[in-house]
Parts: sequence; structure tokens; C-alpha cells
Amino acid sequence: MSPATPTPRAKDIALQGLWRENPIFGQVLGICSTLAVTNLVLNTVVMCVGLVFTLSLSSATVSILRTLTPRNIRMMVETLIIAFYVIIVDVLLGAYWPAMRSNLGPYIGLIITNCIVMGRCEAYGNSNPPGRAFLDGFFMALGYSVILLIVATFREILGLGTFAGLAVPFFASPAWDKWIIMVTPPGAFFMLAIVVWVFRSIQQRKEEPAK
Amino acid sequence: MMREKRWFPILYMFLITAVFSTVVIGFTALTRDRVEANERLAFETAVLAVLPEMGGGLRSGSIHQRFVEQVSEPDGSSGGAYTLRKDGEIEAYALPFDGQGFWAPIRGVIGIAKDRKAVIGISFYEQAETPGLGAEIVKPAFCDQFKSKLLSQGDKPISIKRPGTELGESDVYAVTGATQTSVRLEAMVNDAVTTWQAKVGGEEGSG
Repeated sequence: MSPATPTPRAKDIALQGLWRENPIFGQVLGICSTLAVTNLVLNTVVMCVGLVFTLSLSSATVSILRTLTPRNIRMMVETLIIAFYVIIVDVLLGAYWPAMRSNLGPYIGLIITNCIVMGRCEAYGNSNPPGRAFLDGFFMALGYSVILLIVATFREILGLGTFAGLAVPFFASPAWDKWIIMVTPPGAFFMLAIVVWVFRSIQQRKEEPAK
Repeated sequence: MMREKRWFPILYMFLITAVFSTVVIGFTALTRDRVEANERLAFETAVLAVLPEMGGGLRSGSIHQRFVEQVSEPDGSSGGAYTLRKDGEIEAYALPFDGQGFWAPIRGVIGIAKDRKAVIGISFYEQAETPGLGAEIVKPAFCDQFKSKLLSQGDKPISIKRPGTELGESDVYAVTGATQTSVRLEAMVNDAVTTWQAKVGGEEGSG
């Protein structure tokens, strides 16, 4: 770990969220939604946009209220703020994209309990100014999204032969025997384990010389 | 200072909840018209899906138009069902049903042929059953079973039976592992069909 600087620049915050402390393979948080929505790329994209919106804004809001909020009830306030943004996402989807809302079913509402959101509000939003809290939330959510999209891309192509609903050459043809297991929950476990393994190996190889 | 007072957290929580709730309520009110239009469209889609040669391949823009042009609203002779008519004669019935599912209400439509006996299809426009279990009722694997089943050949209009048992002419298989959803769905469909049968009077010709 690099020594903490008093005022980290945006680049550091970005690197932290996307790579060094990536929520999925660094902190292994938010796995439930990773497993649940990644069998179709389109669902995953919407889920990720929802999370980026919720995480960056709730972290910033927690940060704005951090000097005012009494310490002993801060978790309650954080949950309220997170729930507020998630409901906004849910209402927007219900009004403008009802088909997607029913595709994602309960998982939009479950962003509230996504440990990444609560985790970042607690770990970062609570002790940093709003601007940086927003950036931290944004890049943490982006780091989560990148991994989810990788998992989803493999699952949909191998399992259904499509990418975001569009047929992929070779994989959509009869020559490819579709791996149905990839679109079922066990496929998510296999894919996630492989992705975490690969990324952690790269990370370790890069860090070792520094030790 | 006020922040040190013991009641401050309570006041703070109360105020902050009031502020955020107000925004959410305002937001919901702003989108209400759109949400209602979407719900209406989901219902119309479900009705068209169970009527013969109506559901397939429609773009969402033309569903409402098709519904208004082709489907007749419920009246005395249809026993509360929406109908498809040709030269004034009823061609098929689309009977809405609803009831409490495992988590939340289930609402759907069952299509019945003009002989008032053969089922044409079933579709759902609102449900929040467990994904992968109860929610499988909306999938073709479950819904397609209803096609050309005959109502009331056994002791009930429709029986949803445990997979692997022998099926009669009014029976379909339940979704494995979704016992509660199946029991509730069977009850709500049978309630609606029984009430409708009493109103329209059994098979064609006898009423």
C-alpha cells in the first residue's frame, strides 16, 4: 500500500477504486448482485449505472451531512440516504423502462443492502469532503462495473451465444454447443472465481518487486 | 449547544427522514402518469397474449391501438371477461384474475375459447414471486401447458399438480419448488373462472 497522502488527487482515487482496492477482487464486496444479474449484459449495464449513481451520490450526501450527523445514529442516516437514491433509480426505471425494471426484479431494491455502498459511505464519505467522496464513490462503483461487465460478457456469450442480445459469430451458430450452466447461478460462481483469480495474480505480480 | 442534547439525534432523524421522504413522494407524483400508462400497457399486452392471433410480434406502440380496435370491454354477456368479437359474436374470452401470491399480488389473464371450455392461454402482468422459483410461472414452459386444456373436467376448473403425477384434461404441472405460488395461483384462477362460469352459464348453448 502506498502511504496515505493528506490530499489525494483524483487520479489516486480513480486508481484506488478501479485497481488497488477494487470492490470485487480487492475487497470481495457486493458479490450477491454480481452473481445475480450478470447472465445478461444489458441487465448488468443497467445495474451498474444504478450503482454508480447511488454510490457516488450517497457517498457525497453522507459527506455533506458528516459534521451534522450525530455519531451514534450515523448508520441509520446512511441507510436512509442510500435507500433514497435507490428508490429514485427504481421510480425512474418504473416510469421509463418498465421492462428492465421487471427483468431486474428485486435486485434494484437490493442495491440498498449492497455492502459496497454502505462500506464506502462508512469508510470514505464519513471522513472526507463531498467532492472527494463523490469521486471515490464514482470510481469504486466503476471498478465494480468493469468486473461485472467482464463476468457478464463471458456468461452471455458462452451460455447464450449473444452479446447484449445480439448474436455473436461462431458462438451463436450450431457449431458452438451452448454452455447453459453459464447463465445459471453456478456459472456465475465459476466465472467470478476465475476473474478474481486472474486479477489477483496480476496484482500480486506487480506488487511483489515493491516489497 | 443543541447538538449535545439527548433529543438531538431523534429530532435530526425525524427531520432528515421528512426531507428525503418529501423528495421521493414528489418524484413519485411526477412520474405517476407514465407509470399508470405503463401498467395499462402491461395489462393490454397480457390480454392480447391470451386471445387467438393477437399477441405475437407486436411493437409496443401498436399494442394499445390493437387493444382499442379489437378487444371489447366486459359487459353483461361476457361475465366480466374482455372479449374478442367477430360480427358481434364472441370469438374468445380474456378473463382477468388476481390474488395474493407468495410475496405480493399476482395479476394475470386467462384466455378461454368461445365454447367456454377450452383454455387458449394464460399470461401475467404483475407478479413478484421468488426469481427462479415462483417467478417461473411467467415463462413459456409453464404458461404453454394451459393451451388447449379443458376447464372443469376434474373437481376444479384447473388443477395445478405436482410434477410427475398423472395429468387429466384440466391439469397442468406446477413449478418444482414453488408450492406456495402454485397453491395460491390455482385458487385465484379457479375463483375467477368459477365466478365467470356462474355468470355466463356453463358451456355454450346451455346458457
